[in-house]
Amino acid sequence: MPFADLVVGTLLYGALLGVIYGIATAGLSLIFGVLKIVNVGHGAFMMIGAYTTYWFFTLYGLNPVLSLPFSLAIGALLGLAFYYPVVRRVIDAPEMASLLATFAMGLLLQEAARMAWTSDYRGFSWEVARLEIGGVSIYASKLIAAGLALLLLLFHYVVFYRTKLGLAIRAVVQDREGALVVGINVDRIYALSFSIGIAITVASGSLLAIYNPVGINPYMGAILTLKAFVIAVMGGLGSIGGAFIAGVLFGLFENVSYVVLTGIEGVQPLVLTRFIAFTLLLVILLVRPKGLFGR
Amino acid sequence: MGEGLVVEGLESGYGEMQVLWGVSLRVNRASMTVVLGPNGAGKTTLLRTIMGINKPWKGKVIMEGEDVTFVPPHEKVARGMTLVPEGRRLFPELTVEENLLLGAYTRISTRSTAGYREALSQVYELFPRLRERRGQKAGTLSGGEQQMLAIGRALMSEPRILLLDEPSQGLAPKIAIQIIDLLSNLRRERGLTILLVEQNIAAALKNADYAYVMEQGVIIKEGERDKILHDESIRQAYLGL
Repeated sequence: MPFADLVVGTLLYGALLGVIYGIATAGLSLIFGVLKIVNVGHGAFMMIGAYTTYWFFTLYGLNPVLSLPFSLAIGALLGLAFYYPVVRRVIDAPEMASLLATFAMGLLLQEAARMAWTSDYRGFSWEVARLEIGGVSIYASKLIAAGLALLLLLFHYVVFYRTKLGLAIRAVVQDREGALVVGINVDRIYALSFSIGIAITVASGSLLAIYNPVGINPYMGAILTLKAFVIAVMGGLGSIGGAFIAGVLFGLFENVSYVVLTGIEGVQPLVLTRFIAFTLLLVILLVRPKGLFGR
Repeated sequence: MGEGLVVEGLESGYGEMQVLWGVSLRVNRASMTVVLGPNGAGKTTLLRTIMGINKPWKGKVIMEGEDVTFVPPHEKVARGMTLVPEGRRLFPELTVEENLLLGAYTRISTRSTAGYREALSQVYELFPRLRERRGQKAGTLSGGEQQMLAIGRALMSEPRILLLDEPSQGLAPKIAIQIIDLLSNLRRERGLTILLVEQNIAAALKNADYAYVMEQGVIIKEGERDKILHDESIRQAYLGL
């Protein structure tokens, strides 16, 4: 492959993956922004989304794109199911309580998935066309996944800035007590925000499975949680737009460094990429403690 | 005169720390009642507990004859009571108009503006300054303007009972007096029932009908305005006379 094509291909795949990372982090950021809790079980919810797409495809031959509404619905319900008995009780508690609670939620999902579906690595192959872009051949499925991620971001934006619910959410974020005295049911806003956040997170797991339909297993969430943290912190915790831009940067960075490192002998590119990613995070935090886009 | 707001033996606090030790008071409909007292007396806690932001431990809150002790704040707003909280608690990143819109939250829907149009023009009439600054972020307003916005936002829910926690705090004396005069007008013109906690005691007493004095979580004195105004110990402790 000519060098120019390699560069274009690497950047293109990096950007597409980055868009998915961006939406995968948006849910984490939304939940942190509104409820001020860090969802340590984040990746496990993405795992549920990946399985949702896998099973609908494998069992019923459902087009993976059409599994997205199911992921959103499952996520919204899971969010409510965890909010009322668990999350609600730890919102005002010391941070350790919410960290442990969300960690436990992740473990619960992970082990439930293992019991239900074993710990086998699963994958599927969805035959779609390849497109030629600038001399680079690219899977249409990856383009579709990224396109859907942008659509989800748009949905997120519309809810946030064009609806009464969004106005109420922004009010709660800016001043919880002010929200109480204007008659906003803050508990309900928390429940809905958590539900929407988890719905987007589960859906992003589906998108990841569409983008890269292999390696689906109950423990896939751990690394996804780590990446989402890095991206969220890079973008400024709680900033959804920031998370998205940071996601794209991270995707680009990951892909470029992977390709570059593959060329070096004696290096495990995947492992070293993660190492560099966290080093990058450290440097960003040293220079801009509130993240690239944090205020 | 009917009862606007009645509080009976109210107790509450934060965590293990009890702040209110059985507070009882009565605010007649369409009257202005002021609660005086030193810092730390529990005045803010009293208003927060009446509103339901702090859970009452004991006692009752009765709104126009109805027991609302455990009614959550958002429902109290829908029923016609609201609080202008200490420190205003505006939404700093939202515009003036969005803040006002949220004041009518219990009555607005995305599709129809009918529920708040009239209330909004009334507030703008009351505070022409806010109309001029409608598109500006609330956080960029001056202290006096922010206080106008806090009161305007509260009026947007068209309350019958209005609780105010030190509305003149941090304002120039002249503006503080204007704000309190304005409240007095609202009571007269709209029949608002007002319970006011205030540091600017002279201005508050001038306009109030009735006053309570609170210390260490209990009411230690109460009376008609004139009685409190001429009480020697109160003149010494609070009016510096």
